[in-house]
Amino acid sequence: MLLIKLATKSLLNRKASALLTLFTIAISVMLLMSIERVRVDAKSSFSNTISGTDLIVGARTGDIQLLLSSVFRIGHANNGVSWKSYQYITGQRGVKWAIPMSLGDSHKGLAVLGTNKDYFEHYRFAKKQSLSFSQGHEFNHLFEVVLGAEVASSLGYQLGDEVVIAHGMGNTSFHNHDDNPFKVVGILKPTGTPVDKTLHIPLAVIEAIHGGHAHQHEAAQVDANDHDHDHDHDHDHDQHDDVDLVGTPKQITAFLLGFDSPLYTLQVRRNINQYKDEALLAIMPGVTLRELWEMLSIVEKILLLFSIVVVLISLLGMLTSLLSSLNQRRRELAILRSVGARPWHIFTLISVESLLITGLGCIVGIALFYALMLLGADYLQSHAGISLNIALLSSYELMLLAAIMVAGFIVGLIPATRAYFYSLADGMSIKI
Amino acid sequence: MITLENVLFKWHAKQPEPTINITKLDIDQGEHVFLHGPSGCGKSTLLSLLAGVTVPTQGNIQLLGKAINQLSNSKRDRFRADHIGYIFQNFNLLPYLSPIENVTLGCQFSKQRQKNALKNSATMAAEASRLLSALGLNDNLQHQAVAQLSIGQQQRVAAARAFIGSPEIIIADEPTSALDTQNRQAFVKLLFEQASAANSTLIFVSHDETLQTLFTRSISLVELQGGTDATH
Repeated sequence: MLLIKLATKSLLNRKASALLTLFTIAISVMLLMSIERVRVDAKSSFSNTISGTDLIVGARTGDIQLLLSSVFRIGHANNGVSWKSYQYITGQRGVKWAIPMSLGDSHKGLAVLGTNKDYFEHYRFAKKQSLSFSQGHEFNHLFEVVLGAEVASSLGYQLGDEVVIAHGMGNTSFHNHDDNPFKVVGILKPTGTPVDKTLHIPLAVIEAIHGGHAHQHEAAQVDANDHDHDHDHDHDHDQHDDVDLVGTPKQITAFLLGFDSPLYTLQVRRNINQYKDEALLAIMPGVTLRELWEMLSIVEKILLLFSIVVVLISLLGMLTSLLSSLNQRRRELAILRSVGARPWHIFTLISVESLLITGLGCIVGIALFYALMLLGADYLQSHAGISLNIALLSSYELMLLAAIMVAGFIVGLIPATRAYFYSLADGMSIKI
Repeated sequence: MITLENVLFKWHAKQPEPTINITKLDIDQGEHVFLHGPSGCGKSTLLSLLAGVTVPTQGNIQLLGKAINQLSNSKRDRFRADHIGYIFQNFNLLPYLSPIENVTLGCQFSKQRQKNALKNSATMAAEASRLLSALGLNDNLQHQAVAQLSIGQQQRVAAARAFIGSPEIIIADEPTSALDTQNRQAFVKLLFEQASAANSTLIFVSHDETLQTLFTRSISLVELQGGTDATH
């Protein structure tokens, strides 16, 4: 107790250098914790992106490329899957559901996905969670759109607003389809996946807004439909079920398949990969996600290595400042010896100092870490799709902290040992 | 009380001449001894031996009837904490403690001295304050930062730390070298008062021989060294 008090007061007496050392450690702790938290959360966000889907089918390309374009909306699929093949494959035995996906259009830089109602029913993310609506409902008419949570929040859309879809990706698309705006009928709950950044429209409209004459024709038809809708508004909604939301597009970008039993997966996958009429590729999302993560794991390991090195450097900084202060403190140590402090008291005193610095450094570091997480969570969510988990420290993170404390203690043993021998050798006369 | 017999001390085994070579030295309980000698004659080494920080290469040192050269390191440390008060030449205080805390530090490592201190006052801080007042440091100064005290005031705090808990032996290593002549004499007299009050043996080391007249006994380390019998 006396030694802790002495160590504290001695440190306070050397505030400037002690605070600097403490701050260096705090920053390194913050860095390590942040990198680890982002790494772990990125991994889980990543593997949570899609679940419950047995196969993703697209035109033949790389496994990872298909996964990126269909699930992460990254890159473009150059080819599509013909509607004929889609119908043939989804008609196979064992297919429980199929979600067609047509990508390539955008709204203010956000992806537009043409799909069917099965999407809202069968699409799963994270631990087989299904999509749910925070407001409204799925689309029942052609020119209706369901927004991902982030689309609605970042663009400030509400139910009933009208949204214009552009052809092609990007903000500055030349082909704005001003003539057929979509009405917002539903907003999904946040999922922490690319779904949040997607506008969902009926598959049939994709063809409609692209096909020249067909466009005019369909649009007219749709207008008529909408007209009806307005009149029939108070009537039973079931009557709209006969609206063909899928249509017969020439081709789609990809489609998701779910089977009655996972046993079908491998067999159907082989059949699709050997399909004669069209060059197709079927991937199992879980497997490909893992492959993708393994590709990224080298980056993750380098990051971890860097942050560990930063922690070590900060501890070496503490060692330097403790060692350099030791010479000036030999008199202080001799005074303590003269009042009866034993060498191990001196040893403990210096060890306690290094523990105090490391401990306080960790505490300040954790505070900085949470501050950074709170500040950075939104950015990471919107720019990288990583949903940060601002929770209490995990056992893994506590272990990291414990490792830092142990490392700090071990580093502190060096000046402590030195002080121990000083105090033995110096005796009552300090030779400086 | 303090007895040295055939004490030989070398820092290294290969040292040709021993730093300390004392055939016989006796100091009685309550004596105020002036130990003098030029720089480099081994004063500091002798004090380290007397304080039990170092042990002689040969010979015996008895303090209060105990052969401290035969005690283990930790027992010597405990012996020092219990029985010896030490005043350094200068930079005597821990800068991060208040004068009161500096004084009470003197008995933090010894139960016995704590007990002694509590015989005089209700708390250790009160005893520290009593000693500081007796040594001429008023209440205002007792709570000031150590760095704001003058050298003379700092030496009074150091003296109070040596005296707290009434140790049997007080060792003062040139405590007046940073003071002017006027203050030196006054400081020595204060030391005498406190040493007499506690019946402590005072060993006062200095190369300033003008102070010699104040003491009842004076020992020249140069004469003591090399086998001269300085027993009285």
